[in-house]
Amino acid sequence: MKILQILKLLNAEAVFMPPGSDEYEIEYSGAADLMSDFLAFSREHMLLITGLTSPQTITTAAVIGANGVIFVRGKEIPPEVLKTAQELDIPILKTSISMYIACAILYKNGIKDAMGTDRFLDNGDTL
Amino acid sequence: MQNDVEKLVEMLSKVFSNTKIKEIMTRPPIVVTQETKIKYVKDIMRIKGISGMPVIAPGFKLVGIISIEDIIRVFENGSFDDRVNKWMTPDPVYLKEDEMLLHFLQVNEDLKYGRYPVVNNDHKVVGVVTKLDILSWMFKKLGYIYVHDERREKALNKKYMSTITGELLDKEGVDFSYKIDYDSVEMIGAAATRLKKFLKEKKIQEDIIRKISIATYEAEANVVIHSSSTGNVYCWIKQDHIKVLIEDFGKGIEDLEQAMKEGFTTAPDNIKEKGFGAGMGLPNMKRFSDRMTIVSSIGKGVKVEILYYIKEK
Repeated sequence: MKILQILKLLNAEAVFMPPGSDEYEIEYSGAADLMSDFLAFSREHMLLITGLTSPQTITTAAVIGANGVIFVRGKEIPPEVLKTAQELDIPILKTSISMYIACAILYKNGIKDAMGTDRFLDNGDTL
Repeated sequence: MQNDVEKLVEMLSKVFSNTKIKEIMTRPPIVVTQETKIKYVKDIMRIKGISGMPVIAPGFKLVGIISIEDIIRVFENGSFDDRVNKWMTPDPVYLKEDEMLLHFLQVNEDLKYGRYPVVNNDHKVVGVVTKLDILSWMFKKLGYIYVHDERREKALNKKYMSTITGELLDKEGVDFSYKIDYDSVEMIGAAATRLKKFLKEKKIQEDIIRKISIATYEAEANVVIHSSSTGNVYCWIKQDHIKVLIEDFGKGIEDLEQAMKEGFTTAPDNIKEKGFGAGMGLPNMKRFSDRMTIVSSIGKGVKVEILYYIKEK
């Protein structure tokens, strides 16, 4: 799914989109407020869903090679977060909906779990 | 040559004979327990470049000594899976930390052992003294030789011996280095993102770059959050592997086994509010590396070495 489509689905606002990022494909996503959790279940080109508006979120996204970050719960984006995103070319979106609903909408629209725990839903396996 | 060294030690020692053992000894001592397998003792000796170690019971109580001669005996007659208590010399000759250098000389005159464990009043092992310790200590006392010694130390510090592969890594010939000299949580990632950029320029495979970036990021976070010191990130790109060394000079890790457990953390609340300190740092580093070793001791900092194999495309 293109990142622009996600923008629409989540009723989000594009805070920063580096050149060419309109075409970024998102197949996987994950939600957390702990940076180590992102690192642990990270997948390249994923979308990070978080409420943690600190420059670390952007750095973490860059380190794992994420294609974007969406800040939920209507958080204000501090200038240093924007600055870090510009330095590291990470698209950032923001939305007023909750983390739970953001996840639900994306899952319903076919975005897969970066951690892979959705597999049991598809084929009846247990966790 | 051996005789000359003996003579020199004897001659110079008299000058400094009212010095206490604890000023000279190497500490903290490298020790093993009675239950340690001989093969690990052999590895420790090789990696640390030492020829013997005190053997301790719980509470650092001295129970024996094991030396390279014992390892040779195992090689001839035993198995490397044997444990230390089978081959060590029990109840070894030891020194007390408050005894004078003169006492060492008297003991050494009769016995001529290579090394002596040093214990405190509670009979806990606190150090080891070898003739080399005495020589280097005296050289430091003698001004002009000290200069020479310092130069040698400087030269030595440029090299770092890999604890994984045993090779010497030249810090001057390093491909990438970055100093972590910030203590703000907000700066975490400065080193990791720079290393990532550098590896991209070097056209390293994407999946390896990602693993390296993540592990380095966690290690960098540890330096900033826990070490209370500065640190360095080094990276060497070799033909078939990439090695990253993250070192700091801070307080060290008290219990490595505990630190490796997922969820164990010593991070304060203000760090946790920033999304760090989840107790996933070391486990994540291990997860995102092909090989990882950590060397740490209290007050001496932490050295994390991670290795990645470059597979043929």
